[in-house]
Amino acid sequence: MKKTFLSFLSSLRLTIALLIIIAVASILGTVIPQQYGGGEAFRHLSPGLVKAFRSLQLFDMYHSVWFIILMGLLSLNLITCSLNRFPTSWKLFKKKSSLDRSKPFENLSPDSVLVIEGNPHEIIGRVENLLKKRYKRVRKKDTANSALFYGEKGTYSHFGVYVIHLSILIIIAGAIIGSLLGFNAFVNISEGECTNTVYLGRQKGIKKLDFTVRCDKFSIAFYKNGMPKEYRSNLSFLKDNNVIFQGPLLVNHPITVNGIRFYQASYGTIPGDQVCLTIKKGNDEEIIRKVRLKDSFYLKEKNAKLTILRIEENLMSMGPAVLINIQSPEGTMRFWAFKHIEKIKDRIPGLFKKVPKFNPGLFKPYYFTLNRIEKKYYTGLQLSRDPGVSIVAIGSFFIIIGFFITFFSSHKRLWVRVDEQEGKSRISVAATSNKDPVGLKREIEHLLRHFSYMRG
Amino acid sequence: MIINTTILSWVTFIYFGSAIFYIFRMVTGKEFWGPPASIIAFTGLIAQTLGLILRWLESYKMGIGHAPLSNLYESLIFFSWTIVLLYLIVEWRIKSRNLGAFVIPFAFLSMAFASFSPNVNSRIQPLIPALQSNWLISHVITCFFGYAAFTIACGLGFMYLLKGLGKDEDSRPFLRFLPGREVLDELTYHSIVIGFIFLTLGIITGSVWAYSAWGSYWSWDPKETWSLITWFIYAAMLHSRFVRGWRGKRMAIMSLIGFASVLFTYFGVNYLPGLHSYF
Repeated sequence: MKKTFLSFLSSLRLTIALLIIIAVASILGTVIPQQYGGGEAFRHLSPGLVKAFRSLQLFDMYHSVWFIILMGLLSLNLITCSLNRFPTSWKLFKKKSSLDRSKPFENLSPDSVLVIEGNPHEIIGRVENLLKKRYKRVRKKDTANSALFYGEKGTYSHFGVYVIHLSILIIIAGAIIGSLLGFNAFVNISEGECTNTVYLGRQKGIKKLDFTVRCDKFSIAFYKNGMPKEYRSNLSFLKDNNVIFQGPLLVNHPITVNGIRFYQASYGTIPGDQVCLTIKKGNDEEIIRKVRLKDSFYLKEKNAKLTILRIEENLMSMGPAVLINIQSPEGTMRFWAFKHIEKIKDRIPGLFKKVPKFNPGLFKPYYFTLNRIEKKYYTGLQLSRDPGVSIVAIGSFFIIIGFFITFFSSHKRLWVRVDEQEGKSRISVAATSNKDPVGLKREIEHLLRHFSYMRG
Repeated sequence: MIINTTILSWVTFIYFGSAIFYIFRMVTGKEFWGPPASIIAFTGLIAQTLGLILRWLESYKMGIGHAPLSNLYESLIFFSWTIVLLYLIVEWRIKSRNLGAFVIPFAFLSMAFASFSPNVNSRIQPLIPALQSNWLISHVITCFFGYAAFTIACGLGFMYLLKGLGKDEDSRPFLRFLPGREVLDELTYHSIVIGFIFLTLGIITGSVWAYSAWGSYWSWDPKETWSLITWFIYAAMLHSRFVRGWRGKRMAIMSLIGFASVLFTYFGVNYLPGLHSYF
């Protein structure tokens, strides 16, 4: 029972089945939007179906329990089948072929036998030199008037497949380490602001960094045709009010601070704390002034001080507005200046009578209109720490080495017999290879060509 | 029209001509049509190389210099370039033109899609920030050499199955013309090994790039996932050959399935939401 289970676990059938199941599951994952918790995309599904999907973790499939079990089974399958097969490969690697064999030369095709002029003794020496150059572990057995050589190369080719399998296990190990010990997070920081709190992605919740990130400036550059050329965040990293690192963050050029990598992921705008105000005095020309929130300026003629008290992006569904405070010898007054005051007036007749505070001409002879609220950028940063990356990189490197060993090398074993035939030398070449029969054939042809030049 | 796109749309016709000659050669069973087919394909390759170089230079003249590997149009052109290059190398190595009728049409179709599809924009566009990476070139080159090798394996698979159709082989001249089954099987295997290595390199270079652009070397983006599915299919194929000794018809069918997966990884994924939207 135990044995059959083990042989099932190490079987190729299981490997193929797992590869197919994982492939099909992955296809599912590319069709069903993968979001934390399902999100908006599946609102048109029936609630029952969404519930079923959710309980199967289909919205975060690649991190679901059953997907991880499948991956675990694949790893187990890799380990057991490698352990199962390794002793055989080790034997093949260590195996010493007995020299007094005539078996390799039975049924030898006439193409592999060469008869050339010359004394076998001389030829034997030359053959030995050539073989020693091209093969490792060349052994020789002499008899009265003949010699038998054995040589081999590429014995390491038996291990290529283990290098590949081990590399895959290393990559999986690196991925596990990364998901257990690392994290992924994101945070939006507007220009001028700083934070040390970031939002975790898959694990959910927040994380406090032991340093503070400040976005000094965010900027976008465009190409002539309007396509974006560069997203740049100038960031400062502070610890105990000291700047520990400062620099621009660009897409494709992450910044690493205290082992945490920062990526330029997105950006956006929010209303800033600066507005443009259009001021019209009687029939004079309009003037436009930029004012910051809480800042003031003077209207000289009336000896009045104007202060912006509040900035609202959408006041009572009537669009952008600012609350203006005016302090003058006549007293203090407060009123709102809207951006779309003309439209609002048309829609609500007698507005100023009902709500005098909405009258932008309250402080005569001035008339104030909100021209625009200056936008402010925020930068969307992605953060990650992944201690498994170097392990995955090592695995990836060795998988390529493993490919070259497996696919481009073969264990070639060669037997060459030199003996006498009617006063001439007869050279017979027999060979086997664990793979690559074409390469072996080429090798034999190559050797025979060299031997044919050896005539005495 | 800019000179490079003019050249490249001419290359479409050149490959069409070459494909016709290869097919003619196969159907009539006369070697007479072979040498011109090869010469035309080679001419096309030279012209296409020239077109790609001009396009590269053009982009520098526009002040947005980058290798011509940055959108669907350029990737289709490069795909057909790798197909023809690999095919001509194989033709030269095995000294046989039989495969041409099954492979060159793919190069033609890729070019035709690039040149004539209204959905494919042939203008040189600047690189958006996500594509401004040194990994762009190595990632695209490795991926497309992999795709091209799989295309050749698919052509070989077709050939194998076609050969299997003819019961009385001598009665059909063009079937007799095809190489022996063992040769086909061996060639399919070699193409798949080459494709598999390049695909792996493509996935690795892509991961390195993703690690510096997206914050994670693997994010289960549909393209990544499909490349892994493709990798699994070819891995299963190689295992069944190595361990079970599967040969011939089964391998031919699997090389077709694998190629379908390659095509979906290349095109189909664009219809799924994901990060690889620029290809």
